[in-house]
Order: sequence, then structure tokens, then C-alpha cells
Amino acid sequence: MKSAILIAVIVFADSAGDVFLTKGMKQVDEITTLNPGILLTMAKRVVTNENFLCAIFFFAITFFSFLTVLSWADLSLVFPATSLVYVISTLGAKFILKETVTFQRWAGILLVCLGVALVSLP
Amino acid sequence: MKIYGVLALAIFAQATGNVCLSKGMKELSSAISIFALFFQAVASPLIWVGTALLLLFFLLFAATLSWADLSFVVPAISIEVVVNVAFADYFLNELVTSVRWIGTLLISLGVILVLRTGKQSVQSDSNGAGRR
Repeated sequence: MKSAILIAVIVFADSAGDVFLTKGMKQVDEITTLNPGILLTMAKRVVTNENFLCAIFFFAITFFSFLTVLSWADLSLVFPATSLVYVISTLGAKFILKETVTFQRWAGILLVCLGVALVSLP
Repeated sequence: MKIYGVLALAIFAQATGNVCLSKGMKELSSAISIFALFFQAVASPLIWVGTALLLLFFLLFAATLSWADLSFVVPAISIEVVVNVAFADYFLNELVTSVRWIGTLLISLGVILVLRTGKQSVQSDSNGAGRR
């Protein structure tokens, strides 16, 4: 039960981190030069970007929850279970971003769910 | 061809890193609070090595994504689950039952189906690279 809760935290925090990272990186221009001065200015824009900082925050939660759950649970359970992040991002894409989700993708998340259920059998 | 080598290295680094983290965390004495656990973890060399390897994975993976399309990298993302479970089985002596193996393979197949859909899903699928 304790493992299930932490895995849920990992999955949600990871999905949230991805969303913020994507938003943040799209606000920063594409990197097209190696000029150190310009690179430095861009790096500064990245690390002061609010979305980017939110992403770092959520990835930190993901990482520390992952460490905590590994202190008692099997890696061969925890790692496959974190694939549920695909299910969450698909549901997020469908219901929050209102994207069209293809049949193939639904079939994929069904397989992932089934797989996680099998992996977590005692 | 180079990209396959880098992807193989990335997945190797990730699975090895996770093995280090798992071993490192289980060596800690069962701490009373999450803060005590945190301070013990910071002092563990295995956890530092594991973290460094995961960072290496992230950098290598990000590099391949900047050379190639996500769809090109998808087989690698789906294989990482299998490699991690195999490493846990071999190096951590975890008891991986045949049911768990079947589950792992189903997940792997599912991830391929989720990620291998046309252009519009490529944008929303920035995930898969970041975690652990």
C-alpha cells in the first residue's frame, strides 16, 4: 500500500514535470549558436523561467519518491510500475488538452495497465 | 548507426544507475523519519554513483532526441523496462517471476503502441526521457 502511494506520487509528479518542462522549453528559443555570451544569456533565461523551475521542482519530487520507495521495494516492481506515466499523460492529453487519442494509443495504455497489474502481483 | 550506440550506452547507464540506487537505499538502516533517510542517502557513495549515472542517461538521451525524431527513439524507450528488470533480476537477485516477466513485456509493447502514433502525439509525448 505504501509502495502504491509513492508510485502514484512518482507518476503524477513526473507527468506534471514533463508538462512544465515542455511549456518552459518552448518559451526559450532554439539553440542555434555556440557563442558563449549568447549561450550564457540563454542559460540564464532557462533557469529563471517559471515553468522550468516548476519542472525541476516536480522532477525533484519524482526522484526523491523513487529513492524512498526503493529503500524497501523491488526495482523490478517499481521501475515497470512507473510506466503508468504514459497512462496519465494520455488521459491528460484527452481530458485536459482535449487532444484526439487514437485507437492504437488506447490499446497501448490498456497493455501498460495490464502489464503493471501483472508486475505488481505478489 | 552512431545513435544506436549512444542509446545502448544510455540505457546501460540508466539500468546500472537504478541498480546502484536500489542497492544503496536498501543498505541504509531503516530510518525513523524521511529526513533522517535523506541525510543517510546523501552520505552513501552508491547513491551518488547511481545519481551520476542517471544524469548521464538523461544527457545522452536528450542528445539523441536532438539528432533524431522521437519515433526513432521509441524502441529504445520500450526496451528500457526490460533491461531494468533484467538488471534487477541479475544484479540485485530479485525474484522475478514469470508473471512479472510477462507483465514487463506487455508494458514494453504498450509503450511502443502509445508512442508510435503520428506527428501530433510526438509533441505531447515529451515524456519518457526525464524520469529516474
